[in-house]
Amino acid sequence: MSNSAGITAMRAPLGLIGLGAAAVLLILSGVAFGSSWIPLEQVAAVILGAGDKTQQLIVLQLRLPRVVIAVLAGGGMALAGFLLQKVTRNSLASPGVLGVVDGAALGVVIFLALLSDTANALVVSIAYQPLAAAIGAFAAIALVFLLAGRQASSAIRLLLFGIAVAAVAKAITMVLMLIGPIYRTTQAARWIAGAVNEINWGEIQITAIAMVPAILLVLLVARMLPPTDLDETSARGVGLNLPVFRILIFALAAALTAISVAFVGGVGFIGLMAPHLARLIIGRNVYAGLVASFLLGAIMLVGADLVVRVAFAPVEVPAGTVTAIIGAPYFLFLLMRKDRQNG
Amino acid sequence: MDDIARPRIDVQALTLAYGTAPVLKDLSLPIARGKVTVLAGPNGCGKSTLLRAIRRLLRPDSGQVLLDGLDIAGLNDRGLARQIGLLAQSPSAPEDMTVEELVRLGRYPHQSMLQPWSPQDAEALESAMAGTGVAHLRQRRIGSLSGGQLQRVWIAMVLAQETDVICLDEPVNHLDMAHQLECLDLVRRLNVEHGRTVVLVLHDLNLAARYADQLVFVKAGEIAASGAPETLMTRELIAEVFGVEAMIITDPVHQRPLCIPIKGMTEQG
Amino acid sequence: MTVNITLPRGTTLSTAMLTASAKPDAAPRLRLIYIGLLALLLAAMLASLTLGYRLYSLAEVWRALFAFDGSETAVVIANLRLPRAVIAPLVGGALGVAGVIVQTLSRNRIASPDTLGLNAGASLAVVVASAVFGVGSLVGLSLAAAFGALVTSLVVFAIAATAGGLSPLRIVLIGVTFAGLGHSIVEVILTTNEAQMQQLLFWLAGAFVDRPMVLALNGGPIILLGAAIALALARPLDALQADDSTATSLGVPLVWVRAASFISVSLLTGAAVSMAGPVGFVGLVVPHAARWLVGLRHGRQLPAAALIGAIYATVADVAARFVIYPVEAPVGAITAVVGGIVLLVLLKRRAA
Repeated sequence: MSNSAGITAMRAPLGLIGLGAAAVLLILSGVAFGSSWIPLEQVAAVILGAGDKTQQLIVLQLRLPRVVIAVLAGGGMALAGFLLQKVTRNSLASPGVLGVVDGAALGVVIFLALLSDTANALVVSIAYQPLAAAIGAFAAIALVFLLAGRQASSAIRLLLFGIAVAAVAKAITMVLMLIGPIYRTTQAARWIAGAVNEINWGEIQITAIAMVPAILLVLLVARMLPPTDLDETSARGVGLNLPVFRILIFALAAALTAISVAFVGGVGFIGLMAPHLARLIIGRNVYAGLVASFLLGAIMLVGADLVVRVAFAPVEVPAGTVTAIIGAPYFLFLLMRKDRQNG
Repeated sequence: MDDIARPRIDVQALTLAYGTAPVLKDLSLPIARGKVTVLAGPNGCGKSTLLRAIRRLLRPDSGQVLLDGLDIAGLNDRGLARQIGLLAQSPSAPEDMTVEELVRLGRYPHQSMLQPWSPQDAEALESAMAGTGVAHLRQRRIGSLSGGQLQRVWIAMVLAQETDVICLDEPVNHLDMAHQLECLDLVRRLNVEHGRTVVLVLHDLNLAARYADQLVFVKAGEIAASGAPETLMTRELIAEVFGVEAMIITDPVHQRPLCIPIKGMTEQG
Repeated sequence: MTVNITLPRGTTLSTAMLTASAKPDAAPRLRLIYIGLLALLLAAMLASLTLGYRLYSLAEVWRALFAFDGSETAVVIANLRLPRAVIAPLVGGALGVAGVIVQTLSRNRIASPDTLGLNAGASLAVVVASAVFGVGSLVGLSLAAAFGALVTSLVVFAIAATAGGLSPLRIVLIGVTFAGLGHSIVEVILTTNEAQMQQLLFWLAGAFVDRPMVLALNGGPIILLGAAIALALARPLDALQADDSTATSLGVPLVWVRAASFISVSLLTGAAVSMAGPVGFVGLVVPHAARWLVGLRHGRQLPAAALIGAIYATVADVAARFVIYPVEAPVGAITAVVGGIVLLVLLKRRAA
């Protein structure tokens, strides 16, 4: 790592510009690629209002929404991961550890199990599934905090409560999936693996409405993040009440995760990897780190979705495949090197 | 009200217990403005607890701590951090953090929402690093620093906080002789040149006697004695508080009392 | 009621001090405990043979086992109930013992074979074997499971060795992420392979049902071997409860003891998973119960954990027949729910 002041100062802005460019490129590719390839100039034309009807339909109603939800969900998970890693001072923390995703999965499975008739068709629109996921996620968060009580101020205790709740949720999910027939099981399994599905603008609106206040909150608390690098006493010394702040951040991260997984399911490892890569690229600056994490999360999910659409068409392999396959070796690599932070 | 006469910090009837074990018992202690006050005492006497209570890291079961007459219990976290700075006993930060990043954190209680980094912040940062002699290390990672350098950086962080009162919890325990002196000389300079009120917990009685304006002996959660080092450093008092038979002479270099321990006394009751 | 041993660094203790009993009547009391546990185990096994979708009487069980007459009852008991009644305690005991070792090795009461991700590794191996390599036989899948558990334990312990140790937080995070990884890859493969799904799904939750006796005959010896190694390590493990320097000063060869423990855990967990799939949380909660009952000495903790684990698994297996009667629930779901609740209670009481 260079210690020259000039390069250090330029690192964050340069990195962000690079990431932004990569994001735009991937978004455009995500729209251009699919069962039919639409050249980039025509994509641009459609977005600007021109282009022929079929292309308009494909781009605006099918592909663009899908890419947009991937950006939002991927970015949201990445932010959640960034916050969790900062506040637990541990690079192994990720949104999956709080039991949120398992709670959401349970919500989905209960939804599918309760609201199917004997012919295994859903009696309500599948559009309600994300709502079930969100409810399950929030119920899990609430349960974890409720059970933890005063112990919530300790990172590891909170994680342990999360694990216990997650285990129970997973077990019940498993039983429900077994009782039900294959249709529901496949549906649920696909959700659990994490997949970017066809989505309409109305649903994106819902996600955006939920996501925007969350992101605003993140920006607000961002300036309180630097002292989290310190031990608890010193942090208190400069005026940050770490235990209380930690609870707030956990709740915020859980909320972001819940919103993100509602529509795309339990896409793994984005929340784990994105903050790391952000740190590698732009360094320690908190604000730059947040933006970079969001961009990287978006890039990862859009990219993963792109890969599965192109490589596995017409089979609908969930995007979670790719993130898991990349995430696994990366996680192992993470574990191998000496952790320079605490624990 | 005569500002000079009123104590900067007034500890009043402070009682604090860890669970059922009482640590501070109805303890009262005025801390003089602009002086170096050193808390000393045997292991487990409560001196660190007292310091932590002064800095409101712990809430007392009864009693209060007044800062210029105001109960600190009512202040918010950042407000208090702008008034009283703290150097913790075992501070830690990520090893790949740079010196400048760490000292910057001292500005946290001052940073406003609208202007995250103001000219005042920059000025405080520079003057803190200059005052502790770490400016030339600003881009170094703190993991690469020596113990003495690191301690100066932590002090710089506290300095950047620009508080009138500075608390230090056993700041020289793990330092070698040279760095102990360097650190404490720095602290004294802060007091003399900038008029800061300093409250210090020290393990070494002789260092305490050398650097204190006001020396306080704490024993079993109570104030055994408080006053000038010359007054407190007597055979009888040291025997009573520390359980050690000692000879007191005057340090010929610094004209301060020097304690020479002779032998430990068996505990009585 | 757990007693924590914290030894100051550099203290020289003799193993005699560590293993001396405090109470003079400890031995008879201990014997009573073991007898009680054995009795409970027998009762549980009997319950396993008699209770279920159909209730059988003890007389019918006796006849099926010792005076086989070819009747449907006898066939069901001998071919369906008996394997379960044998496999469940074997698996439970194995996981209990493995749990004790893992918790001692990592000096962490939340660690267990499954929280370290061994179960996830085993599941992954099974799913890959089935979906990618087309392995269909039960024995084949069992071998795959054992292989997966072994590889995962290799990875985890290797990581622990290189990264300079496992703090409790790290262990938790490693295990959770590993488990999440295994889980997600499994789900992925399942979504593309519907036909496999039902069969695999049940197995993936952990189940003693529909297991042929041959699995017990294959896995039993491995479990006995793993348990024997564990018992041989009882004294060194006692010393390992303190920090490394103290253990070394007591003459414990750290590297060898750790290696042997790791082998024992791999054998026990691998065999258990190969017999019944990934049964979760047994290795987590059983050691706590064992410690509560007989204390910290491994010479007692290990046998107690084996017995308690055996009882726990057998009882859970019986319960699995009734919770969603008439359908069989996977026993892994029951142990997860119970284990999860127990973990929550332990956390609340700060006993873990």
